[in-house]
Amino acid sequence: MTIFIATIIAVLFGCAVYLMLGRELKEICMGLFLLSHAANLVILEAGRTPGGVFVPVLGEGHLLSQLVDPLPQALILTAIVIGFAVQGFLLTLLVVTWRRAASLNTAQLAQPQPLPIAPASSSPPHVDQPQGQSTGNDPTTILTTDRQEHR
Amino acid sequence: MSSNLVMLPIVIPMVTGVLSLLVAPSYRIRRVVGIAGLLINLAMAMLICSRVLGAGEQILVLQAADWPAPFGITVVIDALSAVFLLTGALAFLAIYLYCDEQLHDTAGGLFHPLFHLLVLGVQWSLITGDLFNLFVAFEIMLMASYALLVLGTSRRQMRQAYKYVVINLFGSTLFVACCGLIYGHVGTLNLADLARLSHSGLIPSAAVPAITVLLLVFGIKAAIFPLWFWLPDSYPTAPAGLGALLGGILTKIGVYVMIRIFVMVFGPSTSQVSEVLRPLLMATAGITMFLGVLGAVSMTSVRRILSIHIISQVGYMVLAVGLGIGIGLTTENRVLAVAGGIFFILHNMIVKSSLFLCGGLMKYHAGSDELERMGGLAKQAPWLATLFFIAALSLAGLPPLSGFFAKFILVREAFRAGWYTLTFIALATSVLTLLSMIKIWSYAFWSRPDPQRQKPSAPHDHGIVQAMIGTGILVTAAVVMGLAAEPVLRSVRSAAQTAVDPAPYIHAVLGQNQVYPLELADQTLHQEDHQP
Repeated sequence: MTIFIATIIAVLFGCAVYLMLGRELKEICMGLFLLSHAANLVILEAGRTPGGVFVPVLGEGHLLSQLVDPLPQALILTAIVIGFAVQGFLLTLLVVTWRRAASLNTAQLAQPQPLPIAPASSSPPHVDQPQGQSTGNDPTTILTTDRQEHR
Repeated sequence: MSSNLVMLPIVIPMVTGVLSLLVAPSYRIRRVVGIAGLLINLAMAMLICSRVLGAGEQILVLQAADWPAPFGITVVIDALSAVFLLTGALAFLAIYLYCDEQLHDTAGGLFHPLFHLLVLGVQWSLITGDLFNLFVAFEIMLMASYALLVLGTSRRQMRQAYKYVVINLFGSTLFVACCGLIYGHVGTLNLADLARLSHSGLIPSAAVPAITVLLLVFGIKAAIFPLWFWLPDSYPTAPAGLGALLGGILTKIGVYVMIRIFVMVFGPSTSQVSEVLRPLLMATAGITMFLGVLGAVSMTSVRRILSIHIISQVGYMVLAVGLGIGIGLTTENRVLAVAGGIFFILHNMIVKSSLFLCGGLMKYHAGSDELERMGGLAKQAPWLATLFFIAALSLAGLPPLSGFFAKFILVREAFRAGWYTLTFIALATSVLTLLSMIKIWSYAFWSRPDPQRQKPSAPHDHGIVQAMIGTGILVTAAVVMGLAAEPVLRSVRSAAQTAVDPAPYIHAVLGQNQVYPLELADQTLHQEDHQP
């Protein structure tokens, strides 16, 4: 069981780090979310009492070593709540960035001029990625014109 | 000694924050609430300091819901927390006075509650008695800082803010995982209990890697050598008040936690952790100090110089942490080194924030942050020049000011302990610090003003007076810390004493409950089960 969960943790950590090394802010945020799940699993597995099978309720006459330690679960609950708040914040930040900059690509965000709306052909770094072309450009134009109208 | 006073550093900013969220969205009421709350906070910190540092030197403890110590949530204020609480409370008040109007304009009314929540997070992490609550406090502090950093920013700043948010979230996640692993191996997260175990040499060696990873976690917060890359990008883009708040206070909390965890809890020579950590800390300290100051010398804008200076100063503090862990050193030497380090951190919280505020005022007067386009400020704003002059000399560590005493003790202890190379690096860094301060001074205050510069816009003039008051408070505090070095040193020494020798701390928190080991507890429970 331990090896199984450890493998899951390793896979989660690996995927998370891979995602976080990407250029899209969406991917980076997804990576962070995965990472927090991996951390929660670490607590669950590391804090498990080896022989614990019974619910820790008093008056049942079990040995202490047979009871499950409830503390790691309390820790995980707290970590989940905090992680939830952080995810909410990050998603909001993504939406705000998208509205303001019309791009979630770190390289494009780094460019100094405000809104360089490039035609579909002139985005060389992501030519091999079909997604990058379809989502990266068309909504951009729609959204920016939309935004300008609002102003 | 048990006392409900301990909860006040958490309750006061929380109440102030909620109040300033609930009151009518007018700037004036929110400001009154904010200033009143921070004043009460300062008074509370003074009261706590007089209790903890005064005659008798108590340690105030509160066990939440009266659960006995290693099982419940513990909140503790000892001398170490108390000195930080007081300095922090003063700096918060001054920074709030400086920036509330400006940030209310740019960041909107939400700025006020967020500021107080940040105060809440900082003070909670100062007084918490267990590792997991430290994580929670960190999260509150960081969430508030994320929000403050992105509110009302331009799109480029936003990208820089992502860097800060992502690296810190990564650190927090590691922190949670470490908490889990440490709990799994050691069976407790209560700091006093951990300290007790580590002083009896009972920390299993399997827990050592997890504890070492904590260095990474706190290192990200404190911006030490390999982990500092996020700092030069995120702080200079923020408004001056925020730079002071985040750069002046938040990074120091990272170092405070290092003292608390690595010196107090895992510091004794009986724990294997210290053998692993010490060379790491010493190497990092030297590199951080020197690279930081080299970066600062090469920069050409005020805010960037100051931001990168933070890194260099953190190097000194980490040096103190490393000496505090010291395996071959006598207790007296360790106490003195840690005392020097704490003095340095407190001095830096005040002086660094005041320099950031000065930088903001300079930008206001000169209309630009680039050194080349400043100039002639000594004539245009003589009061600002005075404030900056004092703060800059204090940062460089010239004798009558606070920086001198802090650096002197620290460097002397490093020399005594036989770390000659590090001593040399520390002194060289000090000279370069002075050089970069002179650079700002001669460019911004003495050289000829830029002829194309426009006069500062009128409507902010009211806020400028308040901003000068805020800066003035901090600079005065820096001067007082230098002139009254003797009493400050005494309090700092007793703070270092609790860090190096935590026996009173352990006794105050755990009392008679020093039970364990687990097999023993198992037997007692078994007997209790059969008794009725």
